[in-house]
Amino acid sequence: MYSLSLPAAIEPPTSRLAPAVAADAELLARLQQGDEVAFRHLVEQYQNRIYRIVLALLHSPEEAEDVAQEVFVEVYQTVARFRGEAALSTWLYRLATSRALKHRRRARARKRLAYFTSLLGFNNEVLHEAPDYAHPQAQLEGQQQLQALQAHIARLPEPQQVAFTLRHEQQLSYAEIAAVLQTSVPAVESLLFRARQTLRKYLQSAFRHA
Amino acid sequence: MPDTTPPPPGADEQWEQLLHQWRGQCAAAQPQPHFYGRVRARLPRATTPPRPLLPQWLRWPAYAALLATLVLVLSGDSAALGSGPYDARPAASPGR
Repeated sequence: MYSLSLPAAIEPPTSRLAPAVAADAELLARLQQGDEVAFRHLVEQYQNRIYRIVLALLHSPEEAEDVAQEVFVEVYQTVARFRGEAALSTWLYRLATSRALKHRRRARARKRLAYFTSLLGFNNEVLHEAPDYAHPQAQLEGQQQLQALQAHIARLPEPQQVAFTLRHEQQLSYAEIAAVLQTSVPAVESLLFRARQTLRKYLQSAFRHA
Repeated sequence: MPDTTPPPPGADEQWEQLLHQWRGQCAAAQPQPHFYGRVRARLPRATTPPRPLLPQWLRWPAYAALLATLVLVLSGDSAALGSGPYDARPAASPGR
């Protein structure tokens, strides 16, 4: 019989995460006591990540900023009820993605309603669609492919879109994505597989033309 | 039928390169400066509940009185109010 001692280099990642988890727990406790400094620290720590994930889902800097602010306001209002079932970052990502998707659904519904009312002649407003032409600089091949990628990501089903964005933009692990989406790791693997397959199929023609 | 066409040569590299490019573009994005200040400015509005017109203790009796009036009106017993058709008819004089 022999014993195997694990060197520090292959130490399980959970022990490396322990200080971060402890720091989050302390931050959460201070937030729940209504500590203003802790709230400021939280906002400054997560504002870029939350803004980027919302921007990746909404494609509008103004809307992303507004939704990101709403996320932190919601945190401030509801942190007292947060029981710590998930990590603080997981909770923030969950709030951010659900708010961004809700915002987008409402915007799409408003757009559809405006379109139908304009068809029925209820108002005389002229609908200004977002211009679909690319800026001369964006005519560059790489930029066009990037725009095509963003457009196709936006057309994915919502869970696939969130999983793909969290994986490739925020570089979260499968387990972290599963926690955000409140699903299992195999389900995340399946979502990501289908998202990649769809995107690559659509983008193959773009690559061919390039 | 599943698509079994193999990807063209170099497609994997192009795909990875595109993802890398997208990640780079996203990583450069940041909210406008003074983000915390704007979040903070939204907090009092969001956390202070709107001031009610009447205090809570005064509203419950008002609701109860309103409900009682509603029940009385809907019960159909309006004779007590003196608006029935027989009350409106003038009484016949005995001499005619």
